[in-house]
Amino acid sequence: MNPMIRKEFRQRMRERRGWLLPSIYLLILGAVVSVAYFLATSESQLANIQGSTVGVALFLTLAYSQLALLLLMAPIFSAGAITIEKEQRTLSGLLTSLLTPGQIWWGKFASSLLFVLLLLITSLPVLSLAFAFGGIGPWEVFTATLTTLIILTCVSSIGLYWSSVFRRSIHATAVSYATVVAISVVTAIIFFIFMELDVAARKATAASWLGLPLHVRASMYVNPFFFLTTSFAPPRQLYPVWTTCVLVFAVLGLAAAALTLRNLRRSGDQ
Amino acid sequence: MIAVDQIGKSFNGIHALDRFTLHVEAGELFGLVGPNGAGKTTLMKVLSTLLTPENGTARIDGLDVTTHGREVKRLVGYMPDQPGVYQDMSVREFLDFFADAFHLRRSNHRDAVDSALERSGLTARSHDSVEQLSLGMKQRLVLAKTLLHGPKVLLLDEPATGLDPMARIELREQLKRLQAEGITILISSHILSDLEDICTQVALIGAGRNATDADGHSVIQLRVPQPPARIYEIEVIGDGTPAANILKGESAVRLLEFSGNRLVAEIAGPDDQIAALLHALVIGGVKVLRFDHRALGLEERYRLAFGEKHS
Repeated sequence: MNPMIRKEFRQRMRERRGWLLPSIYLLILGAVVSVAYFLATSESQLANIQGSTVGVALFLTLAYSQLALLLLMAPIFSAGAITIEKEQRTLSGLLTSLLTPGQIWWGKFASSLLFVLLLLITSLPVLSLAFAFGGIGPWEVFTATLTTLIILTCVSSIGLYWSSVFRRSIHATAVSYATVVAISVVTAIIFFIFMELDVAARKATAASWLGLPLHVRASMYVNPFFFLTTSFAPPRQLYPVWTTCVLVFAVLGLAAAALTLRNLRRSGDQ
Repeated sequence: MIAVDQIGKSFNGIHALDRFTLHVEAGELFGLVGPNGAGKTTLMKVLSTLLTPENGTARIDGLDVTTHGREVKRLVGYMPDQPGVYQDMSVREFLDFFADAFHLRRSNHRDAVDSALERSGLTARSHDSVEQLSLGMKQRLVLAKTLLHGPKVLLLDEPATGLDPMARIELREQLKRLQAEGITILISSHILSDLEDICTQVALIGAGRNATDADGHSVIQLRVPQPPARIYEIEVIGDGTPAANILKGESAVRLLEFSGNRLVAEIAGPDDQIAALLHALVIGGVKVLRFDHRALGLEERYRLAFGEKHS
């Protein structure tokens, strides 16, 4: 086993946030599911409310809330991973050992991602509550979880890149959050501006997503909430929009990893 | 062992190293002295493979640090000027991690960590958190970590910075012991008295270049390395006990064998000391028949290595 992974796990699980964050995370999800259930059942206030309607509402609320929470938590783990070695002045010790930059990156990446994965797994029983009401099957839970995992893998890789760029954890974390805001909010704003301009130019709205010009759609392919939305499509309709998102996030994550490795190789200057 | 030729390295157009040259022989404890910003840390980083020089060559045991980085890492132990530790680990966990990081085999792993703990005097504190150690002890721990993989060359960048006088004395003694074990040591320090006490030679560095003293020397010879101890076989006429008593009274002599009129002794020091010992035997009334220097035989080597443990 890569010694970096063992070291990172040991240190991470000793931190107070090792148990505090999962507790807070589950408490918030529990609160969200309670509010969503209350709203879904009180909105209609009718005796003939369909169980599947409640199930779908609960599932969608939980899936988006979970993604939002994890997008807030992922930078906490990844953005400080390399900067902490610089702050403690232990990075030179790692770089002059026989560990390769690849092993150092992998140790940091795996420990950041596996902690997020732990949160994702602990929330699966909550997400599966929707089964009880119907309207949602294992496939929907699977694709939503897989999509969330792909997004978090990419965000963790980007967080590690910022961690390799900056000397202080606080700077790397701030820029990582700015990146999360940029891909989640700024891309949506850009999309709506381009769409309004397109509607004004054509004096008509497009009939479907693929009917929109590419420059209008482009920004949304890096939007994690849009990516999650595409995962709710039936299996045969995952291509091309969901698969394009997978490709875009994979390229982003790999590019961030490659740049992080390059920075680690040059870390002797710091 | 360390060969630096016309090396250059700059940061943002400022030369940190400018055609600097240095040669350190195997087994030397070599000092590097210069003012702040002279290029000492940059040189240490180049030799430890953390930085790539822009021109010139740097070799450790014949291996170019730029092209044979991995092999050089196996040979070198590097201790930076402000070495870091993982505060949330125990002393043993810290050493265990670096033993893994140096890919020590499982069979050697425990021995290496135990020996590092013993060497640094931290065996009793092995389960304590690193956070609880004093600065001097942390320095000892980092040095122990640096020695885990059995490096041939030690690069120590300002190792005494921040240490109290007692910890500095301990560090000096430890470095002397390491040199005696055959490890080549390159040490940079601002504390000139420390270097004067332990180094065989000191190189001067200023503005990234070889600097010279008033006499034009860029390397100052402080002391000639002590010759290794030699084995002498002594044969006397009659009982060898008086000769043995004289030999036992000499601090530079270790009596290895004594039977009847034949004695074998290990004598440290220069030729003058050996001549003085022969003189002392004669003055002491011993009739010396033979006083021969001879190389160590396999039997003596074995006895020197294991004799004391089994006797």
